[in-house]
Amino acid sequence: MKRFNQLVSAVILTLLLAGTTWASDKNIIRLATTTSTANSGLLDYLLPKFEQKCSCKVHVISVGTGKALKLGEDGNVDVVLVHARPAEDTFIAAGHGIDRRDVMYNDFILIGPHNDPAKIRDEKDVVNAMKKIAQSQSKFVSRGDDSGTDKMEKNYWKIANMKPEGKWYFSAGQGMGEVLQMSGEMRAYTLTDRGTYISYRDKIGLPILLQGDERMFNPYGIIAVNPKKYPDANYKGATELINWITSPQGQQLIGSFKVGGEQLFVPSAK
Amino acid sequence: MELLQSTAEALRLLMAGDAELWGIIFVSVKVCFLALVIATPPAVLLGFFLASRIFPGRRVLIVAVQTLLALPTVVIGLILYMLLSRQGPFGSMHLLFTQQAMVIGEAILAFPILAALTLSAVQAVDPRVAETARTLGAKPWRTSLTMLLEVRFAVMAAMVSGFGRVISEIGCAMMVGGNIAGVTRNITTAIALETSKGEFVEGIALGIVLVIIALTINFGLALLQGRGGSR
Amino acid sequence: MSLMLVRGLRKSFGERLLFDVAELALQSGSSYLLTGGNGSGKTTMLRILAGLETAQIGSVSFEGVTIPAGEICTQLSPRVVYLHQHPYLFSSSVAANVAYGLKAAGMAHAKREALVREAMTWAGVNHLAHIAPHKLSGGEKQRVALARARILNPKMLLLDEPTANLDEEARRQVAGLIRQMCDNNHCVVIATHDPELMTLKDAVQLRLENAALR
Repeated sequence: MKRFNQLVSAVILTLLLAGTTWASDKNIIRLATTTSTANSGLLDYLLPKFEQKCSCKVHVISVGTGKALKLGEDGNVDVVLVHARPAEDTFIAAGHGIDRRDVMYNDFILIGPHNDPAKIRDEKDVVNAMKKIAQSQSKFVSRGDDSGTDKMEKNYWKIANMKPEGKWYFSAGQGMGEVLQMSGEMRAYTLTDRGTYISYRDKIGLPILLQGDERMFNPYGIIAVNPKKYPDANYKGATELINWITSPQGQQLIGSFKVGGEQLFVPSAK
Repeated sequence: MELLQSTAEALRLLMAGDAELWGIIFVSVKVCFLALVIATPPAVLLGFFLASRIFPGRRVLIVAVQTLLALPTVVIGLILYMLLSRQGPFGSMHLLFTQQAMVIGEAILAFPILAALTLSAVQAVDPRVAETARTLGAKPWRTSLTMLLEVRFAVMAAMVSGFGRVISEIGCAMMVGGNIAGVTRNITTAIALETSKGEFVEGIALGIVLVIIALTINFGLALLQGRGGSR
Repeated sequence: MSLMLVRGLRKSFGERLLFDVAELALQSGSSYLLTGGNGSGKTTMLRILAGLETAQIGSVSFEGVTIPAGEICTQLSPRVVYLHQHPYLFSSSVAANVAYGLKAAGMAHAKREALVREAMTWAGVNHLAHIAPHKLSGGEKQRVALARARILNPKMLLLDEPTANLDEEARRQVAGLIRQMCDNNHCVVIATHDPELMTLKDAVQLRLENAALR
């Protein structure tokens, strides 16, 4: 009987302990963002400075753009930071989000094997380059996950009036990091944002083959989840974050973030 | 040899007491421990009743428990996600993407193992146990308690098995936890993240810890089964 | 008045009739030796009397009070205690085994301790107090089981082949203990082949043969 009592006391103590660590529920802001943004390391650099100022905590859930917006639509987060303007506009038009602000941009680039079988190195037009890759049936890895990058890629195929299918086209259904690693392993072409590419450059050994086309411009927007739709979303916290990230201090920090000596993002708040 | 180098690096990281790494390990252990504490009493009770009483619907319940055992963790994660989402019935409890949600998910995963193993343990109880208890004047509840105590090593082994399942699963933890740094990032979701970033050193470090935990669990299991078996 | 009076006791396994007994009267203060060949139903009969097995029973009463057939065990334990041929000792400890029935009856720890020590001394098992129950020999287990039963001072003790499979020394020890339990205040029914026990003073022989009791 004595041992049983000891056991019960131990269990109760454990639950109490567990309870107390949960009770310290500071102001929590849930931010859904894309894997490329999270993996670039920008948020690890930026958010602690914000958290100091607001004495709050930002919980970052990083998924593909599609899922990030869905999280906002379902009210499971308080604010979203993504890079897919058409999808963002639909999001706002449908009443899921308000207070959209431009935050920053980076650009997309086409990378691929050194020997460039599709011969896109001298191309200036990204849609032409994609056409050449398809026509030469050179290996191409796609995000395939409805992310901002994925939407960008699908848009190029649309403009080219082509449907990418066949043994050469691999729809990975995974994040940018995984897709880059796959491309490296398979020595394939892929469309990537510059930020993630710089982080992975040394690991995958694929050079940039095409960059600079205006249509590869990748702007990021931050949107608060609509408090009219979800009254108990942390709209106040979301607003604090939006204001800070578009403030001179936030913008300056974004510009000062470097990986391997290179700046990844260009602040663009107006 | 990249693998050896990474492993050496990984061990160095662990020994150095890297705060982030050990924070992740703590999340795994804490969540799984709490899940076991919550799941064990009802599961053991259910296993006991299924083994020792006949009642309408018993067969159905046993099949249900065994089916839950076979469900992939990501499916359970998905169902729980939909229940806890703001869109779902329990949305107003704000549990999604918290440790609490993970504890609930792991408890659901551990439950069928605990129930099924307790069920077999009690079914295997020597019939003389209940008879001896009864003839010595024990009331039904005491007889039941005595039966459970006689198979306590098997029940403890069930708990260890349950712990082993939940600490090494990722599907449910990722879905309902969201892999949030410092909050719901545990060993398995961190391994997935680090390896997706190509950071194999961190992945290996965590993998080593998981293997050590698994070894310890199985060692404990063997000890318990040995003690339970020597009669 | 008989201690236990059973009328119309009939047990079958499917088609096969095991025994059919019109009346069985067991008196307090008497010892009974239940004999019969293998498979004659000795164990089954004892278990039915203990309420651990069901049978067709016309009526059963204990100390004059009628007991519903389905509640023999619930109502009569531990006034009636049954010992298995191979007794099961709980895995806790020898002392805890002996104390089991007292604990079940709600007796306080301090009071139990004294009685347990006395019972263990009586059975000569004190030196086994710290040994894991499953490690005991057959004879030692029997003696612990007897202590476990005796401590409850049951009015009726049902012993199923208590000395079978024991070596000579153990048999003598166990038989000695059983003899001590057969006194004017208790009823002991022993299913047995053992010649050692057959010489029990004033014991009534009940022979189970051809599905009837003589």
